Amino acid sequence: MDDTEHDNDFPDLSSFDDESSVISTRGLEAFGRKVTTTASQLMAPRSDPSSNPTYQNAMTEVHRQLRRPGLQRAMFSMANTTPTDLVRSRLSTKEIQSRALSYVPEELLKNIPEGDSSYSLFQGFQASFPELTDNGKKHRRRVSRGRKMLDEGPIIPDGTPESVRKLKQEKASMMHQFEMLGIRKNMASSEIREIDAKIENLAGMRRIILDRLANLEQDEALLEHDIVDVESRLEEAQEMVEEAESVAVRTPAKSEDDAASEKGDAPGFMSQSVYEKLPSSKGSSSDKKKPRSIRRKSMPILHEHFEPGSMIRSMRAHKDNVTALDFDAPFGLLVSAAMDDSVRVWDLNAGRCIGMLEGHTASVRTLQVEDNFLATGSMDATIRLWDLSKAHYDPQGHQFGKEEDDEDAIAFENPDDQPVDPPPGSMSACPLFTLEAHLDEITALHFRSNVLVSGSADKTLRQWDLEKGRCVQTLDVMWAAAQASALSSSDGGWRQTTRAADGSADFVGALQVFESALACGTADGMVRLWDLRSGQVSRSLVGHTGPVTCLQFDDVHLVTGSLDRSIRIWDLRTGSIYDAYAYDNPVTSMMFDTRRIVSAAGEDVVKVYDKVEGRHWDCGAGITEAEQDKTPAVVERVRIRDGYMVEGRRDGVVGVWTC
Amino acid sequence: MTQLPYAIDAETPLNPDELGVLRAQYEKEGDMVGVQTKFNYAWGLVKSNLRNEQHLGVMLLAEIFRTSPERRRESLYYLALGNYKLGNYGEARRYNDLLLDKEPANLQAANLRTLIDDKVAKEGLMGVAIVSGVAVVAGIVGGVLLRNLGRKR
Repeated sequence: MDDTEHDNDFPDLSSFDDESSVISTRGLEAFGRKVTTTASQLMAPRSDPSSNPTYQNAMTEVHRQLRRPGLQRAMFSMANTTPTDLVRSRLSTKEIQSRALSYVPEELLKNIPEGDSSYSLFQGFQASFPELTDNGKKHRRRVSRGRKMLDEGPIIPDGTPESVRKLKQEKASMMHQFEMLGIRKNMASSEIREIDAKIENLAGMRRIILDRLANLEQDEALLEHDIVDVESRLEEAQEMVEEAESVAVRTPAKSEDDAASEKGDAPGFMSQSVYEKLPSSKGSSSDKKKPRSIRRKSMPILHEHFEPGSMIRSMRAHKDNVTALDFDAPFGLLVSAAMDDSVRVWDLNAGRCIGMLEGHTASVRTLQVEDNFLATGSMDATIRLWDLSKAHYDPQGHQFGKEEDDEDAIAFENPDDQPVDPPPGSMSACPLFTLEAHLDEITALHFRSNVLVSGSADKTLRQWDLEKGRCVQTLDVMWAAAQASALSSSDGGWRQTTRAADGSADFVGALQVFESALACGTADGMVRLWDLRSGQVSRSLVGHTGPVTCLQFDDVHLVTGSLDRSIRIWDLRTGSIYDAYAYDNPVTSMMFDTRRIVSAAGEDVVKVYDKVEGRHWDCGAGITEAEQDKTPAVVERVRIRDGYMVEGRRDGVVGVWTC
Repeated sequence: MTQLPYAIDAETPLNPDELGVLRAQYEKEGDMVGVQTKFNYAWGLVKSNLRNEQHLGVMLLAEIFRTSPERRRESLYYLALGNYKLGNYGEARRYNDLLLDKEPANLQAANLRTLIDDKVAKEGLMGVAIVSGVAVVAGIVGGVLLRNLGRKR
C-alpha cells in the first residue's frame, strides 16, 4: 500500500510545490536574479577581468565548476564569510581568544603610513633563509652547480647553444645572489637603525629612573634628618625623666645632707652631685645633647649611575690655591684647605659650607677625614684634631638665608658664586686637641684608629697616640737613611735625586700607616716601609727619580706618584714594580679606589686610570669647559671614594665628579 | 623578485626542523626581538598546516602591525593571508580590501581576494545545499504527512 501511495505522490508533489509552497523554486530563482543584479553592481569596480589574468582564470574555473556561477557567487559574496567561520567565531572559546589577540583595531587600520623600507619582510625572509623557500632551493642548486663550474674553470664559450644557455643560467643565478646580498645588506643596516632606536629608548628610560633615584635619595636624606631629630629629642626626654627620678630618690636623703651643707661655706639649693648633672644654662641643649651625627646613615648610590666623568657640582670654595682636601663618604662631608689660610667644612649633599675651622695660625698643608674625625697638619708645625660631629649644622639649613631649592641634590651651583659665609661659631665645639712637637711645617699626616703619623719639614716622622694625645715615637729619616747606607751600601741611603729637586718639594711628601706598618715617600724619590714596633726601615723601594708627593697602599699594592711625572704601582709582597705609567707633568696628588687610580698631574683635568679596563681617560673641567673656550685652573689635589671624586684647583674651585 | 608571496606559497608547510630554526632565532632575541625575526617566525607558522601554529602566526603578525607602523602595509597582506588560511574569511576580507584600496594594482592581493570569494562561495554553497536539502526533505516529509492526513480525512 505504501508503495503505491508513494508512486502516486511524486507527480502530485511537483504540482504541490509549484502552486502552494511558500518557498517555491521559482521564487528562489527570482530572488537570486535580483541579488545577482544588485551584487554585480556593487562588485563592478573591483572585478575588471581584462586587467587581471589571474582573476579571469579563476573566474573561468569557477564558471566551469559551477552551473550557475552568477547566482551563487553573487549570493554568497553578500555574506562576507562562510557559515563555518561564523559558527566558529561565535562558539569556540579558543577561537574567540585568538581572534581577540590578533585583532587589529580600526584606528590602527586607518593609520597606515607609506612603507619606505627598501625591502619587504618577505624578501628579508627569503634572504635570511634561502633554503626555506622553493625559489631559494632552486637557486641554491643552481648556485652550487655554478660554483662547481667555476671551480672547474670558466666555461670556454665554444659557440654552441649549450654553452650560451649555461652562461645565461650562471648569470641569472649570480644576479639572484647579487640581489640577495643587496637585500641582506639593507636588512643589516635597518636592523642597526632599529637597535639604535631601542638604545635611544632605553637611555630615555634610564634618565627617568635616574631622576626617580635622585628623588628617592633626597627623600631618604630628609627622612633621615627627621629621624635624627626625633632621636635626639627622645634622648633628651629620657634624660629629663631620669633626672626627675634621681632627684626624687635623693630628696629623702636631703636632711642628712642639709646638716653638712648648713655648716658648709656654700649653702646650695641642691646637693653638689645633682647640681653637676644639671645642664648648664648657657648652650644648655647643645652641650647635653648627644653629638648629633651629621653623617649620612644611608649609602648614597646615585653617583654610581651617572655617566663616568659627569660633574655633580662645582663650588668656589676658596680664593686661593687649594692645598689639601678630603671627604668622608660620597655626598658626605668635605674639608678643604687653601693658601688663604682657611679650612672649610662642606656638606657635599647640599654643596654648602658648614663652617670654618679656626685655630691654625698658618695655612694647612695636609688633612685627613675619617668618620667624624679630622686631622689637619699646618705650616705652623702643629697638628690639630677635630670632631666634626659637634658642628652645629642643620642639613635642611635655612639659617643661611639661602633657600634655593636644595631638594635637587645634584643641582649645579654656579662656580662663580662667592662663597657663602657660614654662621660664625658653627664649628666652635669641634676642636679636640692640638699636637705640638714638630719643629717645622707638617707636610704629610695619616691616621688610623688611634695611631697618627705625621711627617714634617724638620726631617722627622712622629707617631702619636690619639687616646693619650701625645707623641710616642720619633723617626729620623736621615738617620734611617744613613743606617741603611752604612749597612747595605747598595740602596736605601739618602740619594741625590737626578732630577734637580726644586726647593719647593716637601721633604716628606706622603705617608700612610696601617697598624705597625708605615709607608713614607720622601723628596729623594724613595719609598720607605717602616716597622713602627722596631722603628726601623724594613724595606726601601727605589725607582722614582723625583720627590714622592703621594702614596697609598691596600693589601696588595702600593701606588706612588712623584714629581718625576710617573705613577708607580708596587707589589707589596715582593717590593718589585708591578706597573708604571707617566704623565706630561709632575704628579701632585693621587688616590685610588677599587677600580680607578686618579691623579692630578699639572693639568686642568684629573687623569684617571681604570684598572679594570686598563684604560686611561681624563675627567674634569678641562673637558667640559673646553667647548666654552674657558681654561679652568690646574688641578692640584684629588680624592676619590667609591667612584665619587673631588678635585681642588689652583683658583680655589672644588669640583665633584663621578668617575 | 617578488615583494609579496602568492597565497599558494602559504600552502606549503615548512618541515619541523626548519620551523625550529626560525623559532630558535625568535626565542633567542627574547624581548628585544627584531621585526624581521618576528616576521620570519610568523611566516613559518602561517605556512604550517596546524591550526594552533597558524593562530600563533597571525597573532605575531598582528603584533608586527601594531608595533611597526612602517611595516603596516605589508602586514595587511600577511594578516589577510593568515586569516584566509584560518578560514576567518571576514577578517581576511577586511584586511585584503583595505590593502587593495591602497594598492589597486597589487597582484597578490587581487589573487587573494578571488581566493577568498571562491572559498566563501563554495563553502556557502555547501551550507545552502545542506540547508536546502534539509528543507526539501522536510518539505517532502511534510507533504507526505499532509497528504496522509488529507487522505485519512
